[in-house]
Amino acid sequence: MMDFNSRVWKLLAGVLLLVLGGCVDKFEPDVLNSPQSYLVVDGFINLNGPTTIRLSRTKNKADAPVPVEADATVTIQDEAGAAYPLPEQEAGTYQSAAMSLNPALRYRLRIRTAAGKEYASDLVAARQTPPIDKVTWALTNRGLQVYVSTHDDANATRYYRWRYDETWLFHSAYSSGVEYVDGVMQNRQENIYYCWGNESSTAIQLGSTSRLSQDVVKDFPLRLLESTSVKLGIKYSILVKQYALTAEEFAYWEKLKKNTESLGGLFDPQPTQLTGNVHNQADAAEPVIGYVGAATYTEKRLFIDRTELESIVRFQTGYESCGKPDTVKLADVAFYFSNPNLLPLEGLYAGRTLIGYTSSPGVCVDCRLRGTNVKPDFWP
Amino acid sequence: MGQRLQASACFKQPFYRIILLIACCLSSWAASAQRAEPLISGNFQNLSVEEFARQLEAQSTYRFYFDSASVKGVLVNVRVLEQPLTSVLQQAFAPTPVRVAVDEEHNVFLTMGTPLPVTLPDNYFQGSAVAVTAEEPTDPAVPATRATSSARLYEIGRVGAARGATATVAGHIREAKSGEPVLGASVYIEGPSIGTSTDQFGYYALTLPVGQHVLNIRGIGIKNTQRRIMLHADGKLEVEVEEDITALKEVRVEAEKDKNVASLQMGVEKLDIKTIRQVPTAFGETDILRVVLTLPGVKSIGEGSTGISVRGGATDQNLILFNDATVYSPSHLFGFFSAFNPDILKTVELYKSAIPARYGGRLSSVLDIATRDGNKKKLAGSGGIGLLTSRLTLEGPIIKDKSSFIIGGRSSYSDWILRRLPDRSLRESAASFYDVSAHLSHELDGKNTLYATGYLSRDRFKLASDTAYAYQNRNASLKWRHTFSNTLYGVLTATGSQYGYEVTSEKNLVSASALAFDLAQVGLQADFSYFRNAKHTIDFGASTLRYRLMPGRLTPRGAESLIELDELDREQGQESALYISDRWDVTPRLAVSVGLRYSLYQALGARDVYQYAPGVARSVYTITDTVRYGAGKTIATYHGPEYRVSLKYALSDRASVKASYNRTRQYIHQLSNTASISPTDTWKLSDAYVRPQVGDQFSVGYYRNFRNNTIETSVETYYKFMHDFVDYISGASLLLNHHLETDIINAEGKAYGAEFSVKKSTGKINGWLSYTYSRSLVRANAGTPAEQINGGEYYPSNFDKPHDVTLAGNYRFSRRFSTSLNFNYSTGRPITLPLTTYYLEGATRVFYSDRNAYRVPDYYRVDFALNIEGGHKAKKLAHSSWTVSVYNLTGRRNPYSVYFKAQNGKINGYQLSIFGQPIPSVTYNFKF
Repeated sequence: MMDFNSRVWKLLAGVLLLVLGGCVDKFEPDVLNSPQSYLVVDGFINLNGPTTIRLSRTKNKADAPVPVEADATVTIQDEAGAAYPLPEQEAGTYQSAAMSLNPALRYRLRIRTAAGKEYASDLVAARQTPPIDKVTWALTNRGLQVYVSTHDDANATRYYRWRYDETWLFHSAYSSGVEYVDGVMQNRQENIYYCWGNESSTAIQLGSTSRLSQDVVKDFPLRLLESTSVKLGIKYSILVKQYALTAEEFAYWEKLKKNTESLGGLFDPQPTQLTGNVHNQADAAEPVIGYVGAATYTEKRLFIDRTELESIVRFQTGYESCGKPDTVKLADVAFYFSNPNLLPLEGLYAGRTLIGYTSSPGVCVDCRLRGTNVKPDFWP
Repeated sequence: MGQRLQASACFKQPFYRIILLIACCLSSWAASAQRAEPLISGNFQNLSVEEFARQLEAQSTYRFYFDSASVKGVLVNVRVLEQPLTSVLQQAFAPTPVRVAVDEEHNVFLTMGTPLPVTLPDNYFQGSAVAVTAEEPTDPAVPATRATSSARLYEIGRVGAARGATATVAGHIREAKSGEPVLGASVYIEGPSIGTSTDQFGYYALTLPVGQHVLNIRGIGIKNTQRRIMLHADGKLEVEVEEDITALKEVRVEAEKDKNVASLQMGVEKLDIKTIRQVPTAFGETDILRVVLTLPGVKSIGEGSTGISVRGGATDQNLILFNDATVYSPSHLFGFFSAFNPDILKTVELYKSAIPARYGGRLSSVLDIATRDGNKKKLAGSGGIGLLTSRLTLEGPIIKDKSSFIIGGRSSYSDWILRRLPDRSLRESAASFYDVSAHLSHELDGKNTLYATGYLSRDRFKLASDTAYAYQNRNASLKWRHTFSNTLYGVLTATGSQYGYEVTSEKNLVSASALAFDLAQVGLQADFSYFRNAKHTIDFGASTLRYRLMPGRLTPRGAESLIELDELDREQGQESALYISDRWDVTPRLAVSVGLRYSLYQALGARDVYQYAPGVARSVYTITDTVRYGAGKTIATYHGPEYRVSLKYALSDRASVKASYNRTRQYIHQLSNTASISPTDTWKLSDAYVRPQVGDQFSVGYYRNFRNNTIETSVETYYKFMHDFVDYISGASLLLNHHLETDIINAEGKAYGAEFSVKKSTGKINGWLSYTYSRSLVRANAGTPAEQINGGEYYPSNFDKPHDVTLAGNYRFSRRFSTSLNFNYSTGRPITLPLTTYYLEGATRVFYSDRNAYRVPDYYRVDFALNIEGGHKAKKLAHSSWTVSVYNLTGRRNPYSVYFKAQNGKINGYQLSIFGQPIPSVTYNFKF
């Protein structure tokens, strides 16, 4: 009877699972299996300095690097017809000489790919970016908030975009005084304990004063850091770059942000293809990704030292998973340390006799795996 | 006289001869009895009753009985030539206080003042052509003539009281056994062809030439019958008809409105489903919405969803009324079951064009669901036992023939099963729902009737994951129907509806939260029907509706939750309307209905409304100010006329052409980022930024019947414009958005299509086959290129499924066994695909196709069902039936949803099929 009962339950459960579970099949429309490769144009026309444009292609393979568009001919053209070349630096990156372009003119970018296709962006008005007034920070209950403030007395800018580069000093879990080189243990020559980490903004940051009577951005919340962030552990720096946008360019960035940064969750918004301002000259229907604006840009740097953060008792180190150092006996040194995955820290002595070395995995010792040990120029 | 009239009708209109012959056969008893009635000729001037009686006795075998003292002084003046005796008597005594009654023994009783009791048992007169004076309808104390016999001749109105050549007969058609009104039954005479059909109360009013007629009565679930009347003047005729037992209590679906019964009612295409139980459904649960979905022009949004798109309209553009109260979420368990208990339903009417002026508030269609009134004669019940759900309905009289109740409940026991499973995650899952409907009707007197309806449905759904969904519908309506006169009646209706949901997530204590939405509306409306004369029926009325909306509130759950309370401003709105429409039978071939509805909507405070910089796209960056509107203050006002015009022209007796134009306005919009209705979709009222949707539809159809009206074919085409169709900017966020107007676009929509349908409604093989070609397109071309969608070009809406083939067929082996087969094919719905990824501005981003540029695989499904009826003795204690069905016979994996996952940087698409294999089920239904 019990057996029968449980079988009945299983059957009924099966019926229910049809409702709750269903079956999942691959959905593979042809278009997904043979995706097109579209041109991606990333960069802007810098009116005051070198212009850098990165050309790449949409990525169809998972593990492959982003395919760059090399060997193209890229030029800036003003509405009067003058052209300024952007020679290719590394593959896919095109950079002009430092220039000072007339802000009264309109500009466009012209691209001729190696395959001979001609692309051009729409002519855009040049924008003058006002200087950043200040970059400040404050501790809030959500974390450390970095703010940017700016203004334009002429009330002409109105639309802003910001990017930032963060740099911070950190150290690895354990300092290593010795290194095993070519079968010989010697004092470490290079500092691998202190490094500078570096990250650029990945989120699109936009601000507008179009609703205000004055073109003033006051304390725009640009970057929120966890108050115990690794980045704040010793010294943190953020370089804020400010770009002025046209209304149309602003709208493009705003849509791009909504389309690609707020997906996920129960109420996924409905995305759509975005139209930038770059077009294939021969085929207007070909999708080209990117919006090329023309502007000057301004920047400002901020430092935050740990001493300014007295209220924070403890910071994350990023090396929380590193265990206590191990011991490698003298006899095993060659066996263990010939492999760079394990690094010696310091000698272990019994009295005055060296009996071995303490050791820790390279990822816990060598900070260069997470940054650079070369002090940046701007670092005090 | 009756004979002559009938005969002349036959000769004048040869087409009706055959039908008349049948009719004559049916009433042969009556005809022969009629023949036995002597014809009287003579000029009787200033005769005393005694002398008049003596002369009549001389001309016939009838004997007269009267109190000579009481009739003293009464003088008779009448001049007749070969008229039936009863008619002569009526004419002679109509102007006098003398009342006449005749029995089958040819005895004539003359009484003074007090009428002869009309409450004599009907079978007392059975089989004899005896006339009984119908009471003047203006006397409320006396019930109107109750006609249960097809053989008797019922006299309507007092002789000589007619004010012209025509008079109006009106009343209700009711089922004899249960006393329930019969809706949508055709009542018509055939020479000349004049007809009408009963309304939602079973009420009809027919203006006919004075004289003798045969009223034909046809309807679903009742046996075709007729009543013979002698129409003298305006009067009442209450008709009781017999139920057609084999049809059980099936639901009838009307698509557009009828055609070929002699009735000239226009813009109506009736679709009779012999038994909705024959239409196979998943889990054997009878589902009216699924049957509606098989109608041409009506499309499902997806497998397992009862969201319907009518003629390319959005799922929120259908007004679903349950006894006049709006239902916002018509389905259970995310759309697998419709939310209506089939046992208590009477009719389901779907208007997809030529929407009557009385309805408003939605763009595409009106689905009017009415419950039965309940058995007025005796306690009865019905129910069904299925694999996942069971249901029970009880009904009966409270006061016999005066008031009745019906209450039905339905519940799933899936929860109970889940809790008994060994698997822990399944044990923690939940999937349950129930619904309860109750309806009361009470006849205060002959002129006043009260109706009350209550409805409650609740759903709870929780997967092993931590998110639980719960939603509920609550509806109530109260109706008071008052008959002012034979030609005018009014209904006062108060309704209330509430829909709300809550999504709770409690697994993670830190993020434990509840998201709630609530929508309530209360309304009051007055509707009047005025049967002005044989050619004009005028409907008019007014309504007002108050919406209260809580668009969203996120609250933390538990002490440890770090979720911050987030609540959107409540919304309020008032929608009012006035309407009038006239159905005008211009000629027997041409009928026109002209209607005008004027609706007014006000968005009301208290609310904070953001102001945006003019001339630029609305976004959070362009908010210039916030204006606070106090409670009840008007934020925005919209109003406009809604035209409702339709006409029918009969090309012949078997073919007609119909055309209609209607404009509709909609002030409440559903926000859904998916094409299917999900219980977590929210609604939004029109406000300063979200304009009302306005729809214009032109529709032309050609209808042709074959084989004695047993095969009906039709072709209908339509073209629709939808203004301010709600669509979303790319990347819109709809949930807890404090500035929703920045994410909504008022887009332009258009839809067009042609619907072909062949229907055979009688015979062993019956059913229908339809093919629809239709398109539904949207355009968002305002603003900057970044604001536009697909470059400002027209693109397919979420509801664009160009090809659709539906077959619903039944084969009846015998009275007890029948089988049915459903076939459905449609183009897959449009979808926006993530095509590839790219790297820009420091991040990998997804590249999407144009909106709705691709389609999910085509939809295709075959269902099969076998119905076995119990014995058919009408007097049996309980009727029972078994339904064995297989849903998705071929096991086709139709996609329920398509989703994408970025796996190792590559976008992979998956389709989830819910009913990916044949699903057999067995249901036992009973009725007692």
